[in-house]
Amino acid sequence: MSAYLVSMATYAGFFIILALALNLQWGLTGMVNFGIAGFYALGAYTSGLLSAKAGWPLGMSIPMAIAAGFAAGGLVALLSMRLREDFLAIVTLGVGEVIRLVVLNEDQITEGPRGLRIEAQPFQSLIAPENYPVFYLGFVAFFVAITYWICERIRKAPMGRTLRAIREDDVVAGVLGKNVFRHRIQIFAIGGGFMGLAGALYAHYSQNISPEVFMPTVAMFIWMSVIVGGAGNNRGLLIGAGTVIMFLEGTRFFGDVLPWLDAETMSSVRIITIGLLLIVTLRLRPRGLLPEPKFTYTKDKIAG
Amino acid sequence: MSFHMNRRSFLAASTAALLVPTILRAQESDIAIGSLTPNTGGGAPFGPNITAAHKRVVDAVNAAGGILGRQVRLFQENSETNPETAVRAADKLINVNGVCAIVGTFSSSVTLGIMPKCQAANVVQMCTSSSSDIPVADEKGLVFNFQPLSPIWGRAIGELVKSRGIETFGLMALNNDFTRSMMDGFIEIVGQDALLNEPFYYNAQQSSYRSEVTQLIEKNPQAVFVPSYVTDFTAVYKELYRQGYEGTVITTSLSTGPQFKEAIGGAAEGIVHGFPVPAINSPAYKEYLVEAGLEASDSVQHPFGTAGRDQLTTLLLAIEKAGSTAGPDIAKAVWEVTTGEGKTTVYNLADGLAALRAGKEINYSGASGSIEFDEEGMVLGRDFQLSEIRDGEDVVIERLEY
Repeated sequence: MSAYLVSMATYAGFFIILALALNLQWGLTGMVNFGIAGFYALGAYTSGLLSAKAGWPLGMSIPMAIAAGFAAGGLVALLSMRLREDFLAIVTLGVGEVIRLVVLNEDQITEGPRGLRIEAQPFQSLIAPENYPVFYLGFVAFFVAITYWICERIRKAPMGRTLRAIREDDVVAGVLGKNVFRHRIQIFAIGGGFMGLAGALYAHYSQNISPEVFMPTVAMFIWMSVIVGGAGNNRGLLIGAGTVIMFLEGTRFFGDVLPWLDAETMSSVRIITIGLLLIVTLRLRPRGLLPEPKFTYTKDKIAG
Repeated sequence: MSFHMNRRSFLAASTAALLVPTILRAQESDIAIGSLTPNTGGGAPFGPNITAAHKRVVDAVNAAGGILGRQVRLFQENSETNPETAVRAADKLINVNGVCAIVGTFSSSVTLGIMPKCQAANVVQMCTSSSSDIPVADEKGLVFNFQPLSPIWGRAIGELVKSRGIETFGLMALNNDFTRSMMDGFIEIVGQDALLNEPFYYNAQQSSYRSEVTQLIEKNPQAVFVPSYVTDFTAVYKELYRQGYEGTVITTSLSTGPQFKEAIGGAAEGIVHGFPVPAINSPAYKEYLVEAGLEASDSVQHPFGTAGRDQLTTLLLAIEKAGSTAGPDIAKAVWEVTTGEGKTTVYNLADGLAALRAGKEINYSGASGSIEFDEEGMVLGRDFQLSEIRDGEDVVIERLEY
């Protein structure tokens, strides 16, 4: 049982990194990204291919995955600069699918539908196999902590205020002399980099990746994590992603205690439960479990 | 509204959360087995048959007193034909339910995806997959494949249609491992020169296959071969019909099941399709038809359901033979109960158990084939049958026996 909890916590870690990245892009800056699965795939395949095919050490291949996500994020933001909201959503959804289809069809490089086997795991030789899952959870938690710290720094910094201003009204932010264009590209690139990191961590954890893993449903789960947790609030996302994984996985146990639910009905029931979770959250706490704190003006004490 | 949680209620809630799984664990005396089938997604047309077949075998054996004097508990999960979901499901089966084997995986990516976890935990896998990577990745020799690898399908269909005097072919295949390697096997037999187009792959779930089909029949080949699954083949065939193609359409019987015939109706006339079939007179196949409540016919019925029956029967026989639920012991016993000459042939679990308990050596011959494994755990050749759709029914036109 504890092995199962460890592995679910590891999955929650991947989800949290993705959710933090989406929160940066959408929660903070208001840029819709439905192509999460694509960036996730890009990171997974970059690190996977570099280590499995080119024999790079993970110390280089994982940073390359981050770099690939970063570059792709920047590029997408650059291309779709003039697009807003709905249109950006469609472009990102398209980019996500393009990445998946390229991976599927360029099989000379990616092994296509056969899936890519990855032997390498970080610090494999140093850790005993029976302790490895716990170690990997720690490894992922370390990166979650770093991502969280960076996201919080951005949110609290003057840049965070600018980003929120862009989210509320980019014209006003522009009129006030903020470089909307540059901020948007920066944030999309940073978010893309985090998604690439999550992909690389996933690839070396599961050791077998194929294009079917990176279907757009992944993006939906991440969106739910952000919406349930509370857009704009990084702490809320830790809860949001945890809740989504808990529902996604916890519902599996219905089948064991309710034998009349067969495997098909079960998986439908699980998706329905997730849908209900979203509806109930939006009904009772429209701004998420932990909403973004409202900015309140406090009088400067020294000046008083 | 607000949401309060004090320390006391938090502790109560988390203790409850941690206790729940202990209720779910199989009782210590039960033999836990995991069934991970594709009940939705790409494998949806076949998954439910496998699930039902697994369940029937387990119910029957429990009614008859179980294995090694213990009851068998089957934990069923849906892989959604998606490796991402499947890995988490396998994680639960292994670490929570404590299964000794995971049977019924269908898509190669799922079988390969859960393999690292299964190997680490010494869990036996039984699948109907096609990738030639499976024996390579199976370092511990714990994986058994109940389906001939797909190049064999391609070669068999190639042999069968070649003998019908067709000389020129157009080729395209669904882009997945199973259908792609089938195409390679087919080309091996008919030869590059017989191909009028450069073979290519198409992607699943497209809304239209107009340009693909146009490209396929551009040079008007006598026949087209389209290795596929039922969902995409239905769309492809509609497009072939719309564009007025008059040659022979060849595919696998997976694509032309009842679902296809219902969608296409009379326009399905003349489609030729091939499939590895159970030996027509196999008692095990006849028993399967009775168990599943089916009428005997010329069509290939429940191709994967029969394999599901064979998987669980083989597994349980092997556990009885090994007298243990440890993965490596079971794997060794799987060969002993399925493969080898001069043993008592049995066609179902009850007879097999009776023979084993009487101290005999047995060889299980299954509903999906005679179930003999090579040293890599891949099932050896099965009979192959080519059928044609006439008046909405499958009519057997040729059979290749191994």
